Amino acid sequence: MFSRFGAFLRSSIGKKSLMAVTGLLLILFLCAHVVGNLTLYADSDGAKFNAYAAQLEALGPLKLVAEVGLVALFGVHIALGMRAILENSEARPARYKDLAPKGNRTFASMSMSITGLVVLAFLVLHIVDFRLADFSEQGLAALVVERLSSPLGGTIYFVSMAFLGVHLWHAFQSAIQTLGMRHPSYAPTIALIGRALAVALAVAFASFPVLLLATGGQWPWN
Amino acid sequence: MTTPTTPILDSKCPSGPMSERWSKHRFELKLVNPANKRKFHVLVVGTGLAGASAAASLAELGYRVTVLCIHDTPRRAHSIAAQGGINAAKNYPNDGDSVRRLFYDTVKGGDYRARESNVHRLAEVSTSIIDQCVAQGVPFAREYGGLLDNRSFGGAQVSRTFYARGQTGQQLLLGAYQSMMRHVGLGKVTLLPRREMLDLVLVDGIARGVIARELTTGAVERYAADAVLLATGGYGNVFFLSTNAKFSNTTAIWRAHKRGALFGNPCFTQIHPTCIPVSGSYQSKLTLMSESLRNDGRVWVPKHKGDRRSPDQIPEDERDYYLERIYPSFGNLVPRDIASRRAKEMADLGRGVGESGMAVYLDFRDAIARDGAPRIRERYGNLFQMYERITADDPYKVPMRIYPAVHYTMGGLWVDYNLESTIPGLFVLGEANFSDHGANRLGASALMQGLADGYFVIPSTIGAHFAGRKLGAVTTDHPSFAAAERDVQGRLGKLLSIDGRRSADDFHRELGLVMWNHCGMARNEKGLKSALGTIRGLRAQFWENLRVLGTGEELNRELEKAGRVADFIELAELMVIDAEHRRESCGGHFREESQTPEGEALRDDASYAYVAAWQHASDGPAMGWNLHREPLTFEEVKLTQRSYK
Amino acid sequence: MSGGHDNHGGLNLTLHVWRQKNCEAEGHFETYALHGISEHCSFLEMLDQLNEQLLSEGREPVAFDHDCREGICGSCSLVINGQAHGPDRETATCQLHMRRFHDGQTIYVEPFRAQAFPIVRDLVCDRSAFDRIIARGGFVSVNTGSPQDANAILIPKEAADLAMDAAACIGCGACVAACPNAAAMLFVGAKISHLSLLPQGQPERRRRVLAMVEQMDKEGFGNCGNIYECEAACPKGISVENIARLNKEYLGASLTARPASEAAGGF
Repeated sequence: MFSRFGAFLRSSIGKKSLMAVTGLLLILFLCAHVVGNLTLYADSDGAKFNAYAAQLEALGPLKLVAEVGLVALFGVHIALGMRAILENSEARPARYKDLAPKGNRTFASMSMSITGLVVLAFLVLHIVDFRLADFSEQGLAALVVERLSSPLGGTIYFVSMAFLGVHLWHAFQSAIQTLGMRHPSYAPTIALIGRALAVALAVAFASFPVLLLATGGQWPWN
Repeated sequence: MTTPTTPILDSKCPSGPMSERWSKHRFELKLVNPANKRKFHVLVVGTGLAGASAAASLAELGYRVTVLCIHDTPRRAHSIAAQGGINAAKNYPNDGDSVRRLFYDTVKGGDYRARESNVHRLAEVSTSIIDQCVAQGVPFAREYGGLLDNRSFGGAQVSRTFYARGQTGQQLLLGAYQSMMRHVGLGKVTLLPRREMLDLVLVDGIARGVIARELTTGAVERYAADAVLLATGGYGNVFFLSTNAKFSNTTAIWRAHKRGALFGNPCFTQIHPTCIPVSGSYQSKLTLMSESLRNDGRVWVPKHKGDRRSPDQIPEDERDYYLERIYPSFGNLVPRDIASRRAKEMADLGRGVGESGMAVYLDFRDAIARDGAPRIRERYGNLFQMYERITADDPYKVPMRIYPAVHYTMGGLWVDYNLESTIPGLFVLGEANFSDHGANRLGASALMQGLADGYFVIPSTIGAHFAGRKLGAVTTDHPSFAAAERDVQGRLGKLLSIDGRRSADDFHRELGLVMWNHCGMARNEKGLKSALGTIRGLRAQFWENLRVLGTGEELNRELEKAGRVADFIELAELMVIDAEHRRESCGGHFREESQTPEGEALRDDASYAYVAAWQHASDGPAMGWNLHREPLTFEEVKLTQRSYK
Repeated sequence: MSGGHDNHGGLNLTLHVWRQKNCEAEGHFETYALHGISEHCSFLEMLDQLNEQLLSEGREPVAFDHDCREGICGSCSLVINGQAHGPDRETATCQLHMRRFHDGQTIYVEPFRAQAFPIVRDLVCDRSAFDRIIARGGFVSVNTGSPQDANAILIPKEAADLAMDAAACIGCGACVAACPNAAAMLFVGAKISHLSLLPQGQPERRRRVLAMVEQMDKEGFGNCGNIYECEAACPKGISVENIARLNKEYLGASLTARPASEAAGGF
C-alpha cells in the first residue's frame, strides 16, 4: 500500500491532488477562523471574542491536535507549492521573449506562486503576533486592536488579506478541477462560488484593520 | 523514347469463383512457422494508414519490424487529412448493399481499369476493417441507439460510408498509429522518425534493405531486412499545387522504380472538383472541401464570357447552372472527374469567376432559402468556417468559389495479387501501389484500401515470400549497401554542389504548371508532346542551375526538397509518356481525342483494357522505358459506357 | 493555374525569427524585413517567401515544421508574438492568414519551448515525448482480425461525441507551448478521455492512466496550474474538462489499482 501511495505522491497529479485537498481544508479553516473573528463585532468591549478564545484554550489536548493538524496542512500545502514552482521553472529552461495571453488566464491564476509566498510571509508574522504573544493580561481582543491599529501593522494585515483574496480567487475552482470534478453545467457555478468565497473571506478579514485604521484604534460602534 | 514490348505480367491472381478467390489463395499460401517469424525482419517505410496498420499487424504475428517515418512522429502522415469517410459493405442500413455491390461499384467507378480479383478482395475485407477500427476505439459517428451511423457519399446509391465527423482519416490513422505504438512500447517495433528513404538495396535481385537519411543530422544510414514494405503514399505533388501535404513525395517509390520495380498506370490522377481556388503566386498548396457540399450547393458560372460583376449583381437568367443543364438527372452530383472537367471547360471558355477567372461558384443561396441558415450551418458549419478562414468570404452571403485540384494518384508501383512488386521481397501498400481503383477512385475508398492492404492483405501474403524463398543472412556490410550508399551520397553531393540561382521550389512550381496544363484534367497529343520536351529541358536546367545552401550534415530542408523535385521531374516524364501512349479516355484520364459526341470520356476497351506497367530502361537527356502490359479481363462486371445524363 | 492578385502593394513586415543551428547551439533572434506580402497568403506562405528571399541573398533559410497546411497534421510549432499558433483561437499556424496582421507590424516568431521539446533547429522542435507517452498506454490492445462485429458494441451517442471531441487532438503540443508551466495535461487528458469514455477502453483503463502519467512526468513536463491557456491555444478547442477527467481517472486508478504482484502482466 505504501509503495502505491508513494508513487501517487511522487506523481505530478498526486502532488496536485494533495495540494488541492490541503487547500480546501485550509479554506475550511479560514471560514472557521473568520467566524471567530467576527465575534469582535458582537459587542463593544471584545468580551465575546475573548470568551471564544478562552473556549479554544480550554480544549486542551484537542487544541494541540488541531494545531498540529493545521501545521501539517500548511506545511504540506506550502512544501508542494514550492516544489511545483521549482519543477515548473525546470520544465521551461529557455524562456519565451514574452508569453502572451491567449484568453483563459487570469491575474489570479498567473500569480498563485507570488500570492502564495506573500501569504506565507504573512502567516509567519501572524503567528508571531498572536499565537506566540502573551495576552493573558490584556486579553486577545485588546491585542488585536493594538496590532491592527498601528499604521504599519494595519497596512500589512490589509495588504496581506488582499493577496489572500487573489490567491483564493483562483484556488477553489482550481482545487475542484484538480480533484477531477468538472461538468460543463456546474463549472461556472463552482467558479462563482469560489470567487464569492474569496471576496467574502478577504473582505471579512480585512474589515478589522480597515476599521481600526480608520478610527485610530477605537471600536467604531462604541 | 520508349521501346514498347509486350510481355504479359503475372498478377498471380487466383482462379475460380470470384467470391472464393481470396480464401482459396490464403489457404494455398505457405505459412511461416510461428517460431520462425521472429527470425524475419520487415522494414516498413511510411506510417500512414497502410504502413502503420501493416507494422502493427506484422508485429502481432511475431515478425521483427522496423519502421521509417519521414515526420517527427508517425501521427502526421497525410492519411490524417482525409475528411469524408471510409466505405464498407456492412449493409447496416439494410439498403441493399453487399460485398458484390461494393465490388461492382468500385470496378465500374474505376472505369474498368482495375483488377477484378483485387477489387473483390478489397470489398470482402472492408467489413473487417470497420470491426477492427471500432475495437481500437475509433469514435465513429453513432445514432442515438448506440449503433454506427452511415451516410451516402460521392453519389453512391447506398449508405455505406462510416465517418468520424469531418476527420475520418485522422481517427483511422490514430487507431493504426496507436496500435503500432503499442508494439513500439513492447519492443516489437523499432520506430525511426525523421528518416527519408533515398534508395532501395537489392541483394541477389531481392529487396534486402534501404538507404535512408536521418533528417536532423543528415547521417546517411543503412537498414537491412528480409522484406521491404513501401507505404509512402501518392505522388500528386508532382503538380506542385495539390491537396497533398508538402512532405508527400515520390522519392521512395521512384528510387525503387529505378532499381527495377515497374510503375503501373503513372498517368492516372484524380482531380477533386471542390477545392478552394488558387489565390496568388505565393500559393503553396490547395485545400480540399468535402464534396458533400455538392449535395446542397448549386454550381454555376455567368452565361456571358468575361462577366466581372459580383455574383449578387448577376440576375438568375444570366446564370448558367451548367451541371444541372448538361446532366439533368445527376445534376451537381456527377462523379468527381466529370464535375472537374466541366469546371475547367467553363474557365477555358472565359466564363470562370474570381480574380483569376479560375473558379466557378458553388452557391448555397437556394439551400439557405429552402432549409434556413441553421440547417445549413448544422450540415456544413465546419466547412464554411474553413472556407471563410482561408478566403475571408462568408459563404452564407457570397457564393463559394471552387476549382478542381489534384488530389490522389491511382497509379503507383505495379504489384501482383500479393502486393509484391516486380522486385522480389519489395511490397507496396496503399496509395503507393497502382492500386485497386483503376482509372478513378470512388470517394471514401482510399482509407479502405490503405487499411485493407495493411491489416488484412500483407499479413497473409508476406508469408509466401518468407516461406517460399531461400533468404540468406544479409547485413549492412554487404557490398550492395556500400554501393547504394555511394549512389545516395553522390546524388546529395551533386545537389549541394550545383551552386546555381534557382530554388528547388521554383523548379517545382514550373514543373507543376507544365503538368497541370498538359497532363492534368484534359490531355491531348500535341500538349503532351510539348510537355515532354519542356520537362526534359527543365531537368537539364535543374541540374545546372539549382541552388541549395548549407551542408548535408544538418537539418537542410532545401536539400530534402531538391532531392524530391529531382525525382518528380523524372516521374513527370514517365507520366506524360504514359498519358500519351494511352489514346483513350478512362476515368481521370481524359484524352480530348477520345470523347463521345456529348464530350464524355470514351474508352477503347479493344486496345487499352490493360495495366500499363513501365520498366525503367535508361537515363539520359531522354529517359527510356519499356512497356509491359497486364491484360484486364472482366468476368463478373460487364463493360459498359458510364452515363450520368 | 497561377494568377491572382499580389499587386495591391501588400504588407511590409519586420520579422524577428529565432535562429538556432542545432540543439546544443545558442539561439538568437534575427531580424528580417519583408515587403509586399499579400494579406491573402497564410503565415507559412509568408515564411516561404522569407525563405525564397534569404536563399536568393545566399543566406540559409529558416527551418520550420509543416506538412498538411490545412490544420490537421499538427506539425506547426510556432509561437507568434508570444502566442502558440498566433492570435486566433482554434486555428493552427498554417490556417492563420496574413490579413490578421497590419502593414508595418513587427512579428516575433519562436519555436515551442519546453524542456521536453528540445529544439532541433531554428523553429523545429522534437515532440517525440508525446509518442513515448502514447507508447506506454495510449491504445486499446486488440490484435488484427480478432474483433467482434462493429455493431455488437453499443455506444451512447453522447459518449461517442465526447470521445470524438477529445480524440480530435492533433498532437501539435501547443498546449505545452502555451502553458506557463509547460505542462502536457491537455494532451494526455485528451487521450485518456477518448479511451476511457468508450467501452473499448475499459479493460486497460487503470493501467493506461497510471502508465501514461508516469511517462508524462518522466519526460519533464511541468505541473498543471489550472490556468487553462492550453485550451485557449488548442487548434482543436479541446476542453480542460479532459484534464479534470484525467485527474479523476488517475485518482481512481491510484486508489484502486492492485499491487503489481497480484495483477498479472502489469500493475
